[in-house]
This record gives sequence, C-alpha cells and structure tokens, in this order.
Amino acid sequence: MGMKKYRGIEKKQARWGFFFVVPSLLFFSLFSFYPIINAFYTSLFDKRALSKAPPDFLGLGNYIRLFDPSRAASELSFLNSLRATLVFTVGTFIPLLILSLLLAVFISNLSSRKAKKFLQIAYYTPAILSSVVAATIWMIIFDPRGLGNQWVNTLMNTPGVDHRWLVDPVMEQVSTMVIYFWKYIGYFIILFITGLASIPSTIYEAATIDGATKNQVFWRITLPLLKPTVVLVSVMAMLQCLKTFSTQYMLYTNGAPRAPINVITFNIYVTGIQQQYLGRASAMSVVLFLLMLVLTLLQFKTTNSEQVEY
Amino acid sequence: MQISKKINVTNIVIWIVLAVMLLFTMTPIIFMISASMMERNQIMRMPFSWIPESFNRENFIKAVAGNDQSYIFVRNLSNSLFVSSTVAITTVLIASLTGYGLAKFRFRGRNTIFIMIMATMMIPFEAIMIPLYMVVMMLRIQNTYTGLILPFLVSAFGVFQMRQYLTTFPTEFLDAARVDGMGEFGIYWRIVLPNCMPVIATLSILSFRSQWDNLLWPLLVSQTKEMKTIPQYISTFALERNTDEGAMMAAALLASIPMFILFMSLTKYFIGGAAIYESRKG
Repeated sequence: MGMKKYRGIEKKQARWGFFFVVPSLLFFSLFSFYPIINAFYTSLFDKRALSKAPPDFLGLGNYIRLFDPSRAASELSFLNSLRATLVFTVGTFIPLLILSLLLAVFISNLSSRKAKKFLQIAYYTPAILSSVVAATIWMIIFDPRGLGNQWVNTLMNTPGVDHRWLVDPVMEQVSTMVIYFWKYIGYFIILFITGLASIPSTIYEAATIDGATKNQVFWRITLPLLKPTVVLVSVMAMLQCLKTFSTQYMLYTNGAPRAPINVITFNIYVTGIQQQYLGRASAMSVVLFLLMLVLTLLQFKTTNSEQVEY
Repeated sequence: MQISKKINVTNIVIWIVLAVMLLFTMTPIIFMISASMMERNQIMRMPFSWIPESFNRENFIKAVAGNDQSYIFVRNLSNSLFVSSTVAITTVLIASLTGYGLAKFRFRGRNTIFIMIMATMMIPFEAIMIPLYMVVMMLRIQNTYTGLILPFLVSAFGVFQMRQYLTTFPTEFLDAARVDGMGEFGIYWRIVLPNCMPVIATLSILSFRSQWDNLLWPLLVSQTKEMKTIPQYISTFALERNTDEGAMMAAALLASIPMFILFMSLTKYFIGGAAIYESRKG
C-alpha cells in the first residue's frame, strides 16, 4: 500500500512540474518557434503588406534576388548589406577582443583592490547608456567643429583638418565602430576579468618558482587557460555586432549616407517595415539567422571539445 | 605570491594604457553632462572648454517640453519605465516558475522541453521581428502596451539561469514544507522565490535594460507619439533639434538618469550580471 501511495505522490508531482513549465512552453512556441518557421515560409512568397490577394509563390526567388551579382552594384543591395555587416563586425570585434583582454590582464595584475574596482566601474559606465544616447553624444563629438576633430588633430598634429566623420563613406564606418567599441569595451573587460579570476593562483606561483618571466606566464599559461573565455567572448562579440541597428539608424536619420552603414538589420527594417516587402525582408532575416546559427554552433563545438582541466 | 613593488617601465606603460582608456570611456559622458548646461556657442567653440560658463536651464526646458511644447517626454519616459518594469517582472516570475519546474520535478518530456527552450536562445529577435510584426498586425495590438511587451515576456536565458540556480537548492526544504501540508504553488511562492534573490536581481536588471535600450521593436509597433518610448523620443528630438546640441545633451542626460540611479545603487548586480554569461560556458 505504501508503494502505491508513493506512486500517487510522484504522479501528482509530475503533474505540478509540467504545469509550472507550460507557460514558458506556450510562450516560446508562439513567440520564437512559430515566427522562425513563419520567416522561412514567408521568404518563399512575394508577400506585400498592402495587397489583399494571396501572395505569389516564388520558391527561392527572394534568395536569388538577394544574392544576384548584377544587383551588387546597386547601393542598397543585400550584398552591400552583407559587406557592411561583415566590415562592421570584423572591424569592431577584433579591437574589442584584443583590447578587452589586454586591459583585463592589466587590471587583474593591479595590487590595489580599490583601483581595480574603480576602473571596472568606470570602463563599464558607457554600457548603461542606451545605444540611442550613445549615438547622440558621439554625433556631436563627430561634428566638424566637435571634439573628435580636436582630439585627432592634436594627436596627429594636423591643425584645422576636418576628418569628415559622418560624411566620408570610410570614416562613417569607422565612426560606427568607435561608438560600438566605446559602449561595449567595459562589458567584455569584465567577462575576461571573471575568466582570469577562475584560474587558480597556485599555477602562477608554481610558474614563478620555476623562474618564468611575466611574458612567459602570459603566453604559456594565462592565454591557453583562458582559451574557453576567449572563444566565448569572440562569439558573443560577433553575435552582438551582427545584430547592430540603433547606431546605424541614428547616424542615417541624422543625415549620414546610408549605403556604407546599411547593415542587414537596417535593410530588413527598411525593406520589411517601411517598404512593406515582407517576403523579401523575411528572406534577409533567414540569412541573418543562419549566419548567427553557424557562429553559435561553432561556439558550442569549440567549448565542448576543449574543456580545460587545471 | 610576493609582488615586488619596484617601479619599472612595464608598470608605467600599463598605467598609461589604463589612463588613456579611462579618458576614452569617461570623456563622452562628462561631455554630455557638461554640454547639457551650456549655451550653444560655448559647445561648438574650439578648443572645447569643459566648464560651463553658466547653467543654461533652457536646454532642460526644451528637452522636456519637446519641439511642439507637448511635454510628450514625460509620457514617453513613463512608457519606457512601464514597459521595462513589466518585462522585468514577468521575466522573473515566469522564468523562475519554469526553472523550478525543470530543476525539481520529474515528468515525461522534461529534458526535451529544456532543450527546446535552450534552442530558442539561438533565434535572435532581429531574425523574427518581421513575423512578429505580422502577428502583432493580425492580433491588432499595434500601438498598444500589449504589443510592446508581449514578445519579451520571458527569456530563455532567464529560464536557464533559474534552473541552474535551483538545481542546487536543497530538496529537503521542499519536502519538509510538503509534510507540513503546504501546497505546491505555495512552496514556489513562499519558499523557492524568496530564496532566488541574487538571480532575481541580475535577471530583472538584464531584462529591464534590454527593454530600456530597445529602439527597433517600438519603431515597428508604436505609431502615435503617445505610445513611443524614450529611445524613440531621443531619436526624434535629435533629428528635429539637430542644431541645438545643448538641448540634445540635456534630453540624453535626462533619459539616462534612471539607469544611472539603478547602476549606482545596484553596481554589484550590473557587474555580476555581465559575469553570469561567463558561467554559461561550463
């Protein structure tokens, strides 16, 4: 009889467990799984918002159009968006990765706890501002008479030169990278500091006793042990950069040329929402999704196959 | 480990790099605060003088009154506060409930459900915003708070964090409460939830911030200016006032004050919140 009663409790328990999970399950089905399936489906049609008639089936037509080389010359083509996104991602995540690692190592080696804490908080502060506020501040700094020109001209001893931060196609891309770098550097420094703190100090002690120099310690011990964090931070930084929208939107609406900074998300917004080509915008979304999926899977693969043991 | 305190070249280089970085991260923020008080002709003076000559109240009045004297700033700020807090609260409540269910109950399909929820972390919002926009149009909830909030009610990351945290929660406490005759929902509400405070703090800050910073979704959903959020207000204000830098910086500063207050009072959780991503790799 005891056994039977126990089974009854277990069954009841199972029901409660399921009941607790149902709200999330419903939510994710409706607002994650359904939309991504819908994006795949819609991308096969010539769907436009205003037309009441059922949309024409295009098959892979939308995708063929996106990757049509003859359209590449057109300024606002999807191929240009891919280019803009890749340039932005590479140009932002490499400096982010290298400098955040370097600064995290520097901060971790400081002996004063107060200095450590102060620097972490100070470097992190830009991250609490919203992207729109960040872009607004930097747009004024990048004004022809603004601080940007004053700083660069003082550093390079080129008085009176206007670097056309928001006008020149190349400089405009550099500007978006500077804004993004500024906002996220503190965040990635903290990730690295946490990673560094998880390396046991006995390893360093042993190395110092064996007579290793600081340089050797960094290249032979710290960096290899930090590899999982490096992979994690790189992928996170890349995913973050692929999703960039607000900075580019702000610069464009305030008069900067669109083509150099017409990143994928911005193109999806303009094509899908402003021009109401929902099918074409869905195809772009699917490409963005696949790009990010590949990166995430790559991250899982590398982090799972290279568990570090101390 | 004995650290020798001799001042050598390496140390000087390290301090210079740290100081340059400090200047780089802090000057734009100081510039915003300083310029928000300045007359226009002082902001655009070369070289820039950092101390305001006088406190120019006009900038803040313009920032709040808006370009059409409608004081819509107040409404837009409240919208952002409301949407961000609601999302923070629902995320914490639903994610903790689900995390508890996944961590402490055995039922058929539990692992499948967990893996499915984790899989949604690979679906970025930017890739599904067009279908979500179509859902919102279909449900006719564009330009409503429901429309602004609905796609962000729970986060998979939140569920994951809660589950990880609760897996180590002592089951004896739960069993003791059951013996005392407490109902399952009561156990969740009165024992589990109050014991998750550190995760609740970081999770609610993360959710609040992501909505506070959200520009893209409100651009899709909000149509009238009454329903716009603060990022949209700043973006419109900057566009229409683009020659009045002082007022732009005043608006930017006012819009950042709630975040500054949160950050200063809960620094530990902001920094810790950044670091919990680190624990994901394990």
